[in-house]
Amino acid sequence: MNDAVLIVDHEETAARRFEALNPKLLRSAEEVQVAFDENWRQALWIVPRLSGMSRLTTLRGGRRGDQRLLFLGHLEGIRREVLHANFRFVVALADGMKLLPIDELAEVLAAPHREDLFIGGALDTIDRALVLYRGNLEPLVVPLSWFSSAGGPRPDPARFEIVDSGQTVRLGEFEAASDAILYEFDVDARRRSKQKSIREDQSFGGSLRRLRKQRGLRREDFDGISAKEIARLERGEVSRPHADTLERIAKALGVRPDEVETY
Amino acid sequence: MAFSLPLPAHLAAQRWKVKIRDRERLEPPHVTVLHGTKAWRLDLRRGEFMDSTPSPNEVPTELIDFVLESLPALRARWDEMYPSNPVQGDADDE
Repeated sequence: MNDAVLIVDHEETAARRFEALNPKLLRSAEEVQVAFDENWRQALWIVPRLSGMSRLTTLRGGRRGDQRLLFLGHLEGIRREVLHANFRFVVALADGMKLLPIDELAEVLAAPHREDLFIGGALDTIDRALVLYRGNLEPLVVPLSWFSSAGGPRPDPARFEIVDSGQTVRLGEFEAASDAILYEFDVDARRRSKQKSIREDQSFGGSLRRLRKQRGLRREDFDGISAKEIARLERGEVSRPHADTLERIAKALGVRPDEVETY
Repeated sequence: MAFSLPLPAHLAAQRWKVKIRDRERLEPPHVTVLHGTKAWRLDLRRGEFMDSTPSPNEVPTELIDFVLESLPALRARWDEMYPSNPVQGDADDE
């Protein structure tokens, strides 16, 4: 990773767990302030324990950059808000938040594609959603209703955990691939995925076929459009559908017409 | 329930896993070989890796052979989990 990794702690034990990130260990409040000023544009801060947190809550903020903070302890209430004054993203154990085991966490943070992996998350029981945190600490909200499969096990949100080094979200017996979640809910990840894995087929037909499969639909399932017409579109025999056809296709797939091609 | 192919003990000890999860990107039918933060998708129709990165050369030959020997069971399991996108598919898909 390119951005600085700064660990705030009074001893080296935790820092050694993150050595793949080549971190700088900051022990005193003065060292923290200097590092904050020097790395104001972008940095990942890791605080293993509560004793290090007071060095951050008393920071004198300056220019607003892209500082991201991962706290491995519990953090509640107003302290979290104080940290948000200086840090763009804050991930900490609070309110049912679960994180990967520390060794897997370090592995994800060191991965070149860490934004495509999850490090933890929490269940929002009121809005029936799962808030997942990516390896770049950015949150992604996924409705619980998405976690289902025909005839498969019933997802149990109370038993939520991240496994497989951030590649799988587990809800009891139910497992969802992280890349499937990102493919569905993050247009940038979808674009990256499309560029990477379907490089040979960037046509409208390829997008239609991928999205239809993703939705579990048959070619017969499009109201007002024959299966033969869908097949011709998917094979590229018709480069672009008429606007009203596209509208019907998008409706059946549950996306906006302009989104079909992003899949 | 997500399917995890039981692997020889020494491969499992090296943290290799082979899975079909309950929600996958569905096209085409595949199993995912997992190792740490890396993943390789293997097409269940063709028995070939789907992606060039990460390099399939990183996957031990022994593991690949084991997965290929297990293809009939993996295909059956995929069809159970994803009946709308069976391994056989329909002729137009090929």
